[in-house]
Amino acid sequence: MQFIDSTNFERLLKKLSGEGELFVPVTEEDTGKLHIERVEAFPLPEGMSVEGFRTVETLKGFAQLLRSTVAEYPSEELDELEIGENIPSYIVVCARACDVAAMELVDKVQVEGEFEDPFYRIRREKMFLIAADCTDCGDSCFCNLVGRNPWPEKGYDLAISKVDAGYLVETGSERGEKLVSENADLFTVPRDGQEKTRDDARMKVVAKLKENNKDFPDATKMTEPLREALTDGLWNDESAKCVECGACTNICPTCYCFLLYDTVEGDKFRRVMSWDSCQVTGYARMAGMGNPRPRLGDRVKHRFYHKYDYLPISHGEIFCTGCGRCIDTCSAGIDMRAVFKNVMSKAAK
Amino acid sequence: MKNPYYPIDTVVEDVITETPTIKTFVLKPVRPIQFKAGQFMQLTVPGVGEAPFTPSSDPSITERMEITILKTGKVTDALHELGPGAKVGLRGPFGKGYPLDKLVGKDVLVVGGGVGLAPMRALLYGLFADPSKYKKIVIKFGAREPAELSFRRQFDEWRALADNISLQTTIDVPHPDWTGHVGLVTTVLETEHLEGIDIVDSYALSCGPEIMLKFVTLKLLEIGYKPPQIYLSMNRKMSCGMGKCGRCNVGHYYLCVDGPDMCYDKIKHVPNVFG
Ligand code: SF4
Ligand code: FES
Repeated sequence: MQFIDSTNFERLLKKLSGEGELFVPVTEEDTGKLHIERVEAFPLPEGMSVEGFRTVETLKGFAQLLRSTVAEYPSEELDELEIGENIPSYIVVCARACDVAAMELVDKVQVEGEFEDPFYRIRREKMFLIAADCTDCGDSCFCNLVGRNPWPEKGYDLAISKVDAGYLVETGSERGEKLVSENADLFTVPRDGQEKTRDDARMKVVAKLKENNKDFPDATKMTEPLREALTDGLWNDESAKCVECGACTNICPTCYCFLLYDTVEGDKFRRVMSWDSCQVTGYARMAGMGNPRPRLGDRVKHRFYHKYDYLPISHGEIFCTGCGRCIDTCSAGIDMRAVFKNVMSKAAK
Repeated sequence: MKNPYYPIDTVVEDVITETPTIKTFVLKPVRPIQFKAGQFMQLTVPGVGEAPFTPSSDPSITERMEITILKTGKVTDALHELGPGAKVGLRGPFGKGYPLDKLVGKDVLVVGGGVGLAPMRALLYGLFADPSKYKKIVIKFGAREPAELSFRRQFDEWRALADNISLQTTIDVPHPDWTGHVGLVTTVLETEHLEGIDIVDSYALSCGPEIMLKFVTLKLLEIGYKPPQIYLSMNRKMSCGMGKCGRCNVGHYYLCVDGPDMCYDKIKHVPNVFG
């Protein structure tokens, strides 16, 4: 473990910014919320904050663009792909535990297994992640309910924890180690007690998370109750207010579903990949045939089952890291935690 | 690096009109494509998009591939407009294919309806490669009317291949040109039509419209098949073909990876399983 003071940290970021596009969390004045912003020039923006919790936006857009061209055809090279050079490197500062974990989950789908998505893999490899402890949590945060901590444990290049007038720094990858050793002059050995300061701060956030979520059930134990509630009427009640906007899936860091569509560009054709949402009617509807989830209740339900039942079977983990963004964004006020509570109370009967 | 989203350049060599709404396209991709019976391809109509189809041709032939297509939506409408020489694209194969190994030494009941006969033809080619490996091969094909029975020109040839092969066809409603059996395909699954199949030592495989799959499944269960002995070619919307885009799930399975043929035992608990 190393220590870096704030001035040297800015120096380090400046250096890093020469290698790619630098993104940091900046506080929005009116709301106090953090947004990811690109740093085009130094000094660092005034509202930048290492403290706080996750940004409004997820990090998934760095690895999976909202919309991107994945093929142009016909082509002399056929399916031989040259990508890499034209994809920029991103340095993302203050990735929180829930977002780092979410990217690791999506990696399992997009990169692991029989096929890999080369576009996703390369973009992901080009991300340099400086993760940070949450020093607070939001009302909707529930990482404690999905068995996670509000500080990053793996999946980062560097991880920083605010102490005194600087940060404790841990390395989590070869790239991270290289960066620290190449810039050894910016770091010092942590002072006695700094680690304890960090741990105390962490425990405070955990205590707040527990207090905030004390009325809600342990989400890691939802798979069985959900299965029992598969055909329960509660899904129609839960979905009654849903307006099918798809905001919950767009803002979710583990929602990765996409659609491919083709366009005409002169005498060539372009294949485009675009984010998609299982909450909208047409998502699974088939040409000339039925729709496996025709009712809104089926679709609202699908979001829960995909994350808490299907993906744990196929990919070994719950695909929800408790960031709570879906709760913040839902205009219908659907709160995943409250839905679980309902499911549990039905199960108890 | 290979781009899994690139549709391999392919020429339409020939178009065979099977029925008023079904055509078979003979496709020649720039490089051979190896597939197993029951695996599917994503077929691109340039600028229009992709749709999934299971080849209807003999899997041992890799230079050419036949895909039999019902006119049913945006991509298939555009396909039906195409003639020889047209350029299309292919990605794949995707999915698992039929469980041919499991069928060895068993009675095999093949039930196809409408355009569902198409993927079943690839299965039949697979079985016909050595019919002696199976006990009986009992084939039941149904369609709404005689004109909708694809591959009729081949039926007699198939029947003649080996003694253990039988093929019975049926149409839904009486028709002046038809002297064969009349009734839904489920009616030829009554015991007297089953050629003495030993149901406990048999597998049934079916492909067709969802509503037909549903009633075939119910019938099979009624005559004594157990869910693990039933394989169904399921339909879901597909996009990536690689288990990544998320849309083709049936319960926790992705049809594009785990199917499209699924053992009924694995999916019977899924609500709306038949769409
Ligand atoms: S954000 Fe809320 S209203 Fe919008 S689709 Fe999701 S659940 Fe429905
Ligand atoms: S077609 Fe994309 S996951 Fe199956």
